[in-house]
Amino acid sequence: MSAPFTFTLPPELSAKEPPERRGISRDQVRLLVIDRASGKIRHSRFDKIDTYLRANDLLVFNSSRTLPASLRGCDCSAAHGPCMEVRLAERLPDDSWLALLLCEQGDPFGCGLREGMQIDFAEGLNARVMARDENISRLWKLRFSISGSQLVDLIYRLGKPIRYEYVSAPWDLDYYQTVYATEPGSAEMPSAGRAFTWKLLLDLKRCGVDAAYVVLHTGLSSYMDDELDRAHPASEEEYFVSRTTAAKINRAREIGGRVIAVGTTVVRALESVVDETGRVKEKQGYTRLKIDKQHRLKAVDALLTGLHEPEASHLDLLSAFLPAEKIRAAYEEAIRRKYLWHEFGDLNLIL
Amino acid sequence: MSKLTGKNILITGASQGLGRAMSLRFAREGAAGLSLVARHIDQLNKVRDEVRKLAPKIDILVIEADVSKPRDIERVVATSLAQFKGHLDVLVNNASTIGPSPMPTLLDYPVEDFREVIDTNLIGPFLLIKNALPAMIERGGSIINVTSDAGQVGYPSWGAYGISKFGLEGMSQTWASELEETGVRVNWVDPGNMNTAMHRAAEPEEDPAEWTNPADVIDVFLFLASDESKGVSGKRFQAQEDWKAELARTTGTKDTK
Repeated sequence: MSAPFTFTLPPELSAKEPPERRGISRDQVRLLVIDRASGKIRHSRFDKIDTYLRANDLLVFNSSRTLPASLRGCDCSAAHGPCMEVRLAERLPDDSWLALLLCEQGDPFGCGLREGMQIDFAEGLNARVMARDENISRLWKLRFSISGSQLVDLIYRLGKPIRYEYVSAPWDLDYYQTVYATEPGSAEMPSAGRAFTWKLLLDLKRCGVDAAYVVLHTGLSSYMDDELDRAHPASEEEYFVSRTTAAKINRAREIGGRVIAVGTTVVRALESVVDETGRVKEKQGYTRLKIDKQHRLKAVDALLTGLHEPEASHLDLLSAFLPAEKIRAAYEEAIRRKYLWHEFGDLNLIL
Repeated sequence: MSKLTGKNILITGASQGLGRAMSLRFAREGAAGLSLVARHIDQLNKVRDEVRKLAPKIDILVIEADVSKPRDIERVVATSLAQFKGHLDVLVNNASTIGPSPMPTLLDYPVEDFREVIDTNLIGPFLLIKNALPAMIERGGSIINVTSDAGQVGYPSWGAYGISKFGLEGMSQTWASELEETGVRVNWVDPGNMNTAMHRAAEPEEDPAEWTNPADVIDVFLFLASDESKGVSGKRFQAQEDWKAELARTTGTKDTK
């Protein structure tokens, strides 16, 4: 699979800290606006997003809450077993988890990770390593010694947010949450909605721009394996679209409003539950839907998202909204104007 | 008729006194889910067992946590929302501490103790509301803060506790006005003198037999947790006064008695 275009992201354009730690508020990040019809680009600031929205539009958010999904444990099934970082990726229907195991010393995959290993964490928590995932070979299936909300409680006691090398400090979990997050389950923050404040949401509502919520627990954005990350196999993610949200979306469409997905996760969830006529249904399930330029969008009219890395799958999804050459032109401009990438960075509205 | 059918409710300070009495009554009134929070898990487990006897089908969760610690609050809300699939209808900020006993005058108050009281009684409720609101704002909900008459009168020797309750009452007013356009209502209740461990510690010279049993002040909490109080926000209630008449007087509605 090849990306619709490639580019090199200069390292200084990775947002290293949350906007609040760069001297601006969370809603003052920059906003790159692309018009789907003309490809015209405008440069704005996120707290002026109301300029681009109109009454009856509906913003659809992913309200999944970020887990402190990085845990430290040691293999205690052998004497002097290695210690590792366990990055939780996804909870499976049978209450086991998929996780990336990264050795603490030397080669991150070179410390004898194997099936049957028992990983001990603090506070009496342990997990049995079952097998490798069939789809993404770097992921292992784990079964913890406890489950349900008891496990969530311990994950919150022991875990830290997953942090990539471009982030300058171990920021508290609070920085990795959207203001509207509810149910915990995401390995990484659904970051497209991070810039929203409650004031902005309530102001938009007063102007007739309503909000609806889906839950899609996000997996990992990197498997710490360049080859695998380049191929970026679509992971299977759990989603939940409620009856209220489905009704709001269908209603918005009927009265001529636009459905604006906040984040690529929302596009995936909604395009997984829409029928041929464009009606969205209440549904809970797992999706592995791949969205690219061949995909005809039926549920979503516009997208608010971050700026994506030069790898195939995310840019592929954008090419369902507008031709690759227009995205490339916008991205070239974003690099020239020093927009910031990643979870604490600037945003891109395509409508 | 059960007044709390289908409701998911989070109560802090649930292991004894008022919190325990509320948990039992709410379970009897058909609450779907209860998330009970306190510092002492053994006492919490006892309350859980009592609740289960009354309501065997209730979805009940106990969480050992200290609400003066922001990380604990994040864990409490996340764990509750994991259990209740992202839905919360009622939050009762009941946990509080009186600080050192006997309570020193402000002149003698150690700053560490002062800070701990403010962290538990004021910052804790602020963070709980902030964290729990996303789960309530879409469907509506009720926030109930437990205050005291020491939150309106500067009694000597009620130092940090009273000041924290003054703050809580002010904060409740601000939340209520900021959330006016949403379906979330915020009210605060002074339960009056009750025969609880905390009150006995606060006034060791007094005769606790003269104080009310916490189980006898729950009606107003039930009213505020139930849909009967929809539209009522920004109000202070006194549980041991004729709060129904007072509510009718201030809202211009009929007494619901």
